[in-house]
Amino acid sequence: MKVNTAIFRILILSILSVTVLLSDASSQAVPGKDENIPFLVTFGKDGETSWGDDDFFSIFFFTIPKDFSGQFYIKVFDPDVGGENDELQGVWNSKTMFSVYGGKGVDPEKNIESRGLLPGVNYKTGNLLASRVFGDDARYDNKYYAFGPFNPSEGDFNEKWNSYIFKIVCEGISGDDGNLYRYFLSRDANSDLPLEGANAFTYKYTFRMWNDTKSISHIYPYIDTGIVSIKQKNFDWDDDGVILVVSTYKQGISVPVSGEDNWAESKIPVEQAEIGKSLDFQFHKKKESLVRNNNVVISLENQRGDALQFFSSPIGGVPVYQPVIGIRKVQKK
Amino acid sequence: MLVLFPGLLIVNSTAQELNSYEITRLPFSSSGYNDISPVMYNDGLLFCSDRRLSGIMERTSFDGRRLYNIYFVQRRDSVEWNKPKEIRSERSELFNNGPLSIAPDGKTVYFTSEIETGGQSKNKKFRNRSGIFIADLNGFQITSIRPFKYNNPDYNIGQPSVSSDGKYLFFSSDMPGGYGGSDIYYCELINNEWSDPVNAGPMVNSTYIENYPYLHSGGRLYFTSDRPGGAGGLDVYYSEKNDREWGEPVRLPEPVNSASDDFALVAMPDLESGYFASNRQRNDDIYEFIITIIRKATCDTLQENTYCYEFIEENAVKYDTIPFRYEWRFGDGDTASGEIVQHCYAGPGSYLVQLDVVNLVTGEKSLNEKSERLVIQDIEQPFITSPDTAYTGQEIQFSADKTNLPGWQIAKYYWNFDDETAATGQNVKKTFTRPGEYNIQLIVSDKAGSGGKIKETCVSRNILIFNRP
Repeated sequence: MKVNTAIFRILILSILSVTVLLSDASSQAVPGKDENIPFLVTFGKDGETSWGDDDFFSIFFFTIPKDFSGQFYIKVFDPDVGGENDELQGVWNSKTMFSVYGGKGVDPEKNIESRGLLPGVNYKTGNLLASRVFGDDARYDNKYYAFGPFNPSEGDFNEKWNSYIFKIVCEGISGDDGNLYRYFLSRDANSDLPLEGANAFTYKYTFRMWNDTKSISHIYPYIDTGIVSIKQKNFDWDDDGVILVVSTYKQGISVPVSGEDNWAESKIPVEQAEIGKSLDFQFHKKKESLVRNNNVVISLENQRGDALQFFSSPIGGVPVYQPVIGIRKVQKK
Repeated sequence: MLVLFPGLLIVNSTAQELNSYEITRLPFSSSGYNDISPVMYNDGLLFCSDRRLSGIMERTSFDGRRLYNIYFVQRRDSVEWNKPKEIRSERSELFNNGPLSIAPDGKTVYFTSEIETGGQSKNKKFRNRSGIFIADLNGFQITSIRPFKYNNPDYNIGQPSVSSDGKYLFFSSDMPGGYGGSDIYYCELINNEWSDPVNAGPMVNSTYIENYPYLHSGGRLYFTSDRPGGAGGLDVYYSEKNDREWGEPVRLPEPVNSASDDFALVAMPDLESGYFASNRQRNDDIYEFIITIIRKATCDTLQENTYCYEFIEENAVKYDTIPFRYEWRFGDGDTASGEIVQHCYAGPGSYLVQLDVVNLVTGEKSLNEKSERLVIQDIEQPFITSPDTAYTGQEIQFSADKTNLPGWQIAKYYWNFDDETAATGQNVKKTFTRPGEYNIQLIVSDKAGSGGKIKETCVSRNILIFNRP
């Protein structure tokens, strides 16, 4: 199944290596349109990892182009833990805290701690710009809450991308219910007005799979210069289907899928033709029987152990496999 | 491909056997005397002749027959020869000298002469046998004559031929134990001594006369025989060794052989020219022969037109966890499934190869995910159609009908059968007489273009000829 390729505008900067940052309106939504992921998931810290969240927090970064001069909001859809969408474990007893950070220490390329991948290391780096705790609150059930407005200059400037970086951290600070939510970057608090050239990314994706067997979710890690192989690690997939890795070069490599409350990992070679583009990790659910409410985690790292970024809007566009037919003359058998 | 300036070329649609040899009687050999047994030596020929040395003096033996002696004649150019000069020895006055052979050192001469030189030899009733003598050749003098150890007054041996490596001495003899008439024998040089004579065997020798052996440096043993089946009188044959045995002799074609006696052939290393003796004009004379058939030193090997192809999904074959099925449509109605498939087309043409891909995870089929236009053409080359194998004596057909040379106006198809025979024509028939592997050449030339130039190209293929079981 091919996903329609969106039209992207490309900003090319050159610092050490050429990096491409792309965006369109779909990139303002997290998860992005091309990702076709229904919800991000963060469980209360008293939850069990077997429910699909290995660490009970998630971190996303937003890139705001330097030449964007207005104010913006980071909107959270369905931030509460209760009512629709969220995953109930007994009674609604959970609280989730969303915190927005800017300033120095946020940029995960300058400050690895900010990525939130190092156990026991403080990932709440940068200046706290806004924070709010949500429990079971009907006012925000199935609705947006907008953080902001923020000025781009409040972010941590990244020269490579010529953008200001902001970070939003979602923590399940109490209870054991699962908070299912989405983000949207907007120029307006009450409507969805995308920021031209903005994008969002994370290093570790914790999300909800669709509750049907046909929908296919995707994530789009960017393959930067110097990468020769990547290691994928997925958690608590409940053996729910197949993960295919697709690129312009790979029609679809099947990689190991984890079971209940465990990790599966594998190494994937990267070809030169894939450098500077995104891979497409496709999540095909099991066809024989529907696995409901499946929450999963996935992360990638390169051959040096550095985490790869997943962009909400795939850099270089959604990769479409290009078959290569080889024909050569042979002797008649 | 060569570009030549043409002679007159004529299209032959039917086979035409070509004369392989041109012969010329050498100008010094046109007198009323007999010249025989040419030996290539330096820039001329050694030969035997019973010619008169002067206008008034004739040298004869005791019984009154003119004596043969050894002469050297220098070649002046491609046509002219100098006047022959006698090679003298102590035997020149009273005995026959020659035929002869020169050892690889260029100095040692083996020649035929009478064995007995004492008083008995002057008795007209005495039958003096011939033998081989070994001597030194110093300019125009033969010195230090010593008899060959196997000379025997009870039978004749003579017509020596030393191999080019000096290891073998061939000769003819009517010694007892042969097959009849005279036979070809040889001795091997072992520890600087000639071994006992060995009969060359039943393939070379017959109940008839075999004589004038000549072992060519390429391994062919030329000899002369009056066996039945020849052109008449003595004919020249050659035999080549198959493994350790001499093979079926091949009689050289006309005009080397004729209804008269043709004998004592010697050849240049490339076999394309040489000399022999013949009495086709009453006396024995020496003739030069040149092989006129064309044989290319470089000729492309025929490439078979194959219409079989392997189709690969290049990226898919690099990974072993690809949950896809690749379905190929070859454009001629046939299909196959797999990452790598093979298909043979019926012949040249333009085919649209289409690849459909079935995602085994989703079950979806992407039609015509990739397509390639495959244009198959025959290889541009002259083409030899013939069986790969045949038997001796079996007439086989050679055809150039499948020649594919776009833009050529073919004027001539020329076939070289690798047995010193040739033919012209698009379709020719050929019968091989001896087993072996033959490298057939087909040389195709087109009509002269502007400037009088013509194109020419050559292909070759091997065929195996077996003895009929």
